[in-house]
Amino acid sequence: MVHSRGCIMKRTNLVRILMFLMTMTVLINTSAATMNVVVITDPTGQDPNGAAAGSQSWAENMFQSTFILSKDKHFAVLSGGEGNETPRLGAIVSAINNLENGGTAQSAAQLANNFAGIRIMTGGPTIGAAVGGYFLAYVVVVQDNGTITVTPYNGGIAVLPPGTKGAIIHLRNTPGNPQYGTADAVRLQTAEMMGEMIRDGYPATDVVAAAFKNVAINAGEKHGGGAVNLVSGVTTGDMFTPTAINTTGFSMDQPYSKVSSTGWSVAFPEAANYQTSPIDGSNLTTVYAYEALRKAITVDANATSVAIYGTDDSGVSDTTREIVQASVYKHGFNANQIAKDINKGISNGLLVGVNYVEASDININQNQKAVGVYFKSLPDDRSSPPWNLPISASILSILGNMQTAIGLILVILVLFRSTLISSFLKK
Amino acid sequence: MFIKIRRDTLIILLLAFLLIFSGRVMTYMSYASSTTVDQGVPISGIIVKGNDIVPLDSIKNSLANVGFRSGSYIQGNTLVTSKRQVPLNEAINNAKQAAMETTIPGTQITPIVAADVQVDNSTGIVTVNVIEDFSNIQIKGLNGTF
Repeated sequence: MVHSRGCIMKRTNLVRILMFLMTMTVLINTSAATMNVVVITDPTGQDPNGAAAGSQSWAENMFQSTFILSKDKHFAVLSGGEGNETPRLGAIVSAINNLENGGTAQSAAQLANNFAGIRIMTGGPTIGAAVGGYFLAYVVVVQDNGTITVTPYNGGIAVLPPGTKGAIIHLRNTPGNPQYGTADAVRLQTAEMMGEMIRDGYPATDVVAAAFKNVAINAGEKHGGGAVNLVSGVTTGDMFTPTAINTTGFSMDQPYSKVSSTGWSVAFPEAANYQTSPIDGSNLTTVYAYEALRKAITVDANATSVAIYGTDDSGVSDTTREIVQASVYKHGFNANQIAKDINKGISNGLLVGVNYVEASDININQNQKAVGVYFKSLPDDRSSPPWNLPISASILSILGNMQTAIGLILVILVLFRSTLISSFLKK
Repeated sequence: MFIKIRRDTLIILLLAFLLIFSGRVMTYMSYASSTTVDQGVPISGIIVKGNDIVPLDSIKNSLANVGFRSGSYIQGNTLVTSKRQVPLNEAINNAKQAAMETTIPGTQITPIVAADVQVDNSTGIVTVNVIEDFSNIQIKGLNGTF
């Protein structure tokens, strides 16, 4: 009896030691604790939203290097932001190099195993997806008949073969995250949710955004990071990344901006001051960061892509984009109408630093749903275009200067009136 | 009243004020309606071609750092920035160098191996052509190239 109790005690100790060792290995591997996710819903590469990927973390330094996108060759290389920097760079460069030379997701991710403690996740619409190195991941495969398979993998290599619909998610908690310990449950929950969404026919960009939301709220690995659309070559860029080194990016579960039904939007924190759109007074809805991410990487078949040339002022480009989209939405692809709407924006001070545009400055490609706007920026740091007055500028300038001079003479006259009058009277 | 002012003095002063004020307004109107430019061609935009993995914004930032930013202008063969004046060909060389030193954000990887910068003297549009190559990148602390 006593003997068997001792045995149980020893076994419990053994289990404890094992648990401790496992925790330690997990902690050591969390040098790059992050969520990485790749989703492929259209392995043929036809659907403009058929493949997407993204990275977020509780940790700092989630710059764009953690979600690298090749917009020409349609692949993504995801990694963690923290960890030993040098091997991570080596792994990233080897993976990119492999993919640029025609490698598959598997062959590129495999290279992460040459670097200690590094994880690389890659994917593309036609090359499949894979994660290699040190990771805790689920591979979700969705068959055409709707069967969902979710398989856990722990290090080495895990592959979603080319031609299959599915996803790979890696998730671990960063030490210090107040929601530490939730990663295992959330990873499985997110994998199952993604499987169901893929089965139900959601585009990959929606699935990635949903994964971001679920992980940000339930596992606390919420700082951007960002996401990419692998088919259309769209990235969230610096929308959510940190602004300085050793800081965290935007929290993906926080409100990001407010947007009106006609397309006008304003970002937080300024958005807190706006209740209605200043253009048409319509109500504003709050957009959360995961929703903003979904919108940023989703290519709408009906949306117009707007290219702006001639000014690098981001405020002007963004506002012009919104004006053009609203104009196309209301009046269709009409260069005169677009030019009129842009000029209205310039006259009421919405767009500053650019001259009025003419219909010939608007380049429309209706088949591609693309509009190009060629601005001429104003010289001399002027904010608004020259006024169109019936009197020429030089006459106005001469008249103005004369009036000023006469006014000044009058003032002097008043000051020395008595002296002047008496000196006149003497003569 | 500490100062005694006659009423006609006051009227004359008021008239003077009106004249000066409207004169200034007219001068401003003449400035606002003038179309002639005494300055050169402002840098109006940067078009980047050939970049795949290096983000567009990073390359534009690099060029802004060497003077090709909004607010700068070209006068003859000189690029005038808010900080200094540089001969245009020197500025273009600086821009090529800056484009090649552009990194992937958050890393020190510089994949751009060649850059060509062209400046349109009449429109102020700067066109940058870059070539990326990942096959010969050296990383500090790791042996060999990747």
